[in-house]
Amino acid sequence: MARGIGVLIGLSAAAFCQTPNLEGIWTNATVVPLERPANLKGKEFYTPEEAGENAKKVLGITSWERLGSQADVHYNMSQYGLDLSQVKIASTLRTSMIVGPDGRIPPLTSEAQKRAADRAAANRGHQFDSYENRPLQERCLIYSTEGPPMMPGAYNSNLQIIQSPGYVAILQEMIHSARIIPTDASPHLAANIRQWFGDSRGHWEGDTLVVDTTNFTDKNPFHGSSKDLHLIEKFRRLDAHTMLYEFTADDPSTWARPWTAQMTWTTVEGPLFEFACHEGNLGLPNTLSGARAAERAK
Amino acid sequence: MKAIVALLLMSALPVQAHHAFAAEFDIKRPIKLRGVVTKLDWINPHSWIHIDAKGPDGKVVAWMIEGGSPNALLRLGFTKDALPIGSDIVVQGFQAKDGSNRGVGQTVSFADGRKLFLGGSAPGANPEDIK
Repeated sequence: MARGIGVLIGLSAAAFCQTPNLEGIWTNATVVPLERPANLKGKEFYTPEEAGENAKKVLGITSWERLGSQADVHYNMSQYGLDLSQVKIASTLRTSMIVGPDGRIPPLTSEAQKRAADRAAANRGHQFDSYENRPLQERCLIYSTEGPPMMPGAYNSNLQIIQSPGYVAILQEMIHSARIIPTDASPHLAANIRQWFGDSRGHWEGDTLVVDTTNFTDKNPFHGSSKDLHLIEKFRRLDAHTMLYEFTADDPSTWARPWTAQMTWTTVEGPLFEFACHEGNLGLPNTLSGARAAERAK
Repeated sequence: MKAIVALLLMSALPVQAHHAFAAEFDIKRPIKLRGVVTKLDWINPHSWIHIDAKGPDGKVVAWMIEGGSPNALLRLGFTKDALPIGSDIVVQGFQAKDGSNRGVGQTVSFADGRKLFLGGSAPGANPEDIK
């Protein structure tokens, strides 16, 4: 028996040694929008000079300015080092994360439009009834950018990858969940088990980690997706400090065709700081007490 | 044209904050406070600065001021000690909608005018490097 375990461990360690190393602390902060701006239609890549110019233009607008009218009652993000111009950003020539000549998310199907309209109608007039009516990120449950696919947020766009035999774990700084991805050829969960982050299973194709995710819920749609979203993510380390992250989203009830986006990540110095969102979430009670005060004043 | 480009950029980049600030704070209740720091909650999703502010009648009132996530400042070496207890600060912002002595600190400065914290720039944030 002991010998059998020894052989298993030996095999597992050997297999692990041959897998590419994606470990590190990464940032996916970027100046590249998900969808290509209309004035760049058909132009998938900048020249290096244009990319530099674009970055200068984007970073020249502070979050304070980008927040627009919301900034009236917001703190100045630059004071807290949360502005995009204050963080490290990976280099890329892409004009949009979405690849291909169009660079846009395909239009929502009529079914997806109806789903979104029904959801909005159900919440209309009830947004402040209870904590359960507030967005998941305001409740510190999951963050809107956590995905999968994992998208950059407005700030703290950092994540850590840790590998062990049979598993890859990904911790995103926003806001606390670790994705534990088996790479042991195990099958997806049964179709009746649904999770906020879906069910991810990974395998290696050469130097690329391919992660297949299904079993989503209908509670945190990604750009209008349904619980039947099928997501394929690809992670490939280009050099010591650069990762190419790609995802393809396929959901026939939402989009007429699958679409693919690519992001370049770069390494940042650690450690990754714990976000611990829930314990200090005074904003949620303040928001609800504000709504109660507004009702009393009516 | 410049305005159109700026608008496109604004709509294309993520701007979402943790919560809807307009739901928590009241634009019709601007505040300007000067007070002494009594406590700093260096926490997520938002930091909170506690101050004792003296009103026009000389009465001291305790206020709590909401600010940003401390993670980025921690990464740049700023800790709780960046704002010592007893610091004399000035807060401009808006009061909570429920009328309590809580507010958002739109700008927060030391009494001598220096802004608090200020993250500075990280290596690699130089636009010239982004290609």
